[in-house]
Amino acid sequence: MSLLAVSNLTKRYRRGGKSIAAVDDVSFHIDPGETLALAGPSGSGKSTIARLVLRLVEPDAGRIEFEGDDFLALRAAALRARRARLQMVFQDPLAAFNPRATVARVLDDPLRIHGIASRSERPRRIAALLERVGLAAELASRAIHEISGGQRQRVAIARAVATKPTLIVLDEAVSALDVSVRGQILELLLDLQRQERIAYLFISHDLGVVRAVAHRVILLDAGQIAESGDARAVIDAPRSAIGKALVAAAPRLHGTRR
Amino acid sequence: MSRFRRFLRTPEAVAGAIILAALIAMALSASLLFPGDPQAIAGPALLPPFQDWSLPLGTDRLGRDVLAELFHGARTSLAVGLAAAAAALAVGSVVGTLAGFAGGFIDEVLMRITDAFQTVPSFLLALAFVSVVGPSLGIVVIAIALGTWTGPARVARAEVLSIRERDYVASARAIGMHPLAIAFREVLPNALPPVLAMSSVIVAAAILTEAALSFLGLGDPNRVTWGGMIAEGRTVLRTAPFLSIVPGIALVLTVLGVYLAGEGIVETTAVRRGLQ
Repeated sequence: MSLLAVSNLTKRYRRGGKSIAAVDDVSFHIDPGETLALAGPSGSGKSTIARLVLRLVEPDAGRIEFEGDDFLALRAAALRARRARLQMVFQDPLAAFNPRATVARVLDDPLRIHGIASRSERPRRIAALLERVGLAAELASRAIHEISGGQRQRVAIARAVATKPTLIVLDEAVSALDVSVRGQILELLLDLQRQERIAYLFISHDLGVVRAVAHRVILLDAGQIAESGDARAVIDAPRSAIGKALVAAAPRLHGTRR
Repeated sequence: MSRFRRFLRTPEAVAGAIILAALIAMALSASLLFPGDPQAIAGPALLPPFQDWSLPLGTDRLGRDVLAELFHGARTSLAVGLAAAAAALAVGSVVGTLAGFAGGFIDEVLMRITDAFQTVPSFLLALAFVSVVGPSLGIVVIAIALGTWTGPARVARAEVLSIRERDYVASARAIGMHPLAIAFREVLPNALPPVLAMSSVIVAAAILTEAALSFLGLGDPNRVTWGGMIAEGRTVLRTAPFLSIVPGIALVLTVLGVYLAGEGIVETTAVRRGLQ
């Protein structure tokens, strides 16, 4: 049974009196421990799908099954409790945190909300989480705006794994980082996946990164699935017009790690 | 402490701070320097200022010490001004945050209530409220806050509308935070700076409204107020104008001090945010 099964997902936005489908009848599934990449040009609906899957935005039509349950049927408290299993890492590591927060507070929130650790136990848990993502435990007392972009994204990943999720949505999670940091963060993500069997919905416009980390890929165009399949096969020999255009536009395809 | 130093480099801010410090000193030292009832008779009636050095600012129609009344009046003005402004800012930012964050029906209801309060002139509202409920310090504070919370509410709502679309609000939802916790822990503190920037204007307006209410005889009758002193002096305006002029000057200086200091704080924090 798949971890996440999305069927016929549709989201329309009204713009200037016209209704535009940002996501148009999209279906896919993710298995436990798998990385599914969503790639496509800007405006193809990648980020909207991310937000729909997390129910940060409500779909107009379609079904989302997560861990065998109808995710769209969950209400209020039941939904908040289930969110522990399904986390997200955002593109801009500065915008994703309350500007007044410290690292400790950011990591304390999920532990407190989901009752994962008692008040006295939390500082130790926070230190362990920081170490898990390759940061020094002393960083906990620092303000979010005082640490570097790469460190911030590691904190974002620590926050996402704090609740032991089975699926993490990575919305352009490495796009805003510089190249050397990007490689380290991707390593960290792959390591976490190997150890804890976390599945990723990996959203990116960078086909080189997608080819390196994803098992399967879906290419989106104007809210619809243009092509899907094994990541390397699709990127090495795209059949759809948008796939060919994306591969041609990529400066060079590097990395064959996996 | 560089923010404090930057504050000191702004001349108007320093002037405002000095005036405010003097005022606070007056309010705090009132019962030390002038123990006993400031409304008690202290000497002959209508003694002009600078005649008798035990009564430097003279006496009023009933022979009460004007300087003692001025010091005790500073207490009322400051207490009412600060309390009313604090109440208005607290109510306004909570209402604005709820309206902006909840959206939809709740937003509609809260903003229509805000409209209703805003369409009634705030002074008339305060006047009506005090004359119905009766004059006491607490009631005067509530009456002034009733007419002034709408401004902070609108500013807070506008700020919240932009903040609620930020990623950190989405990430707070994604980790399963309760909507009320998101509104008050994540959104409200970040919406506050522009709301707090209004505080100097609100404090100044509250002090003036209190004085106006007292002038009309709707202040707390058991307390000396500058507005009440001006009203007292009005009856003998031709023969003893100083009775109105002295508390009038105090009022002008206070409002000016609050305004200048408030502007100074806004200026220095704005510079600080610009540098980041």
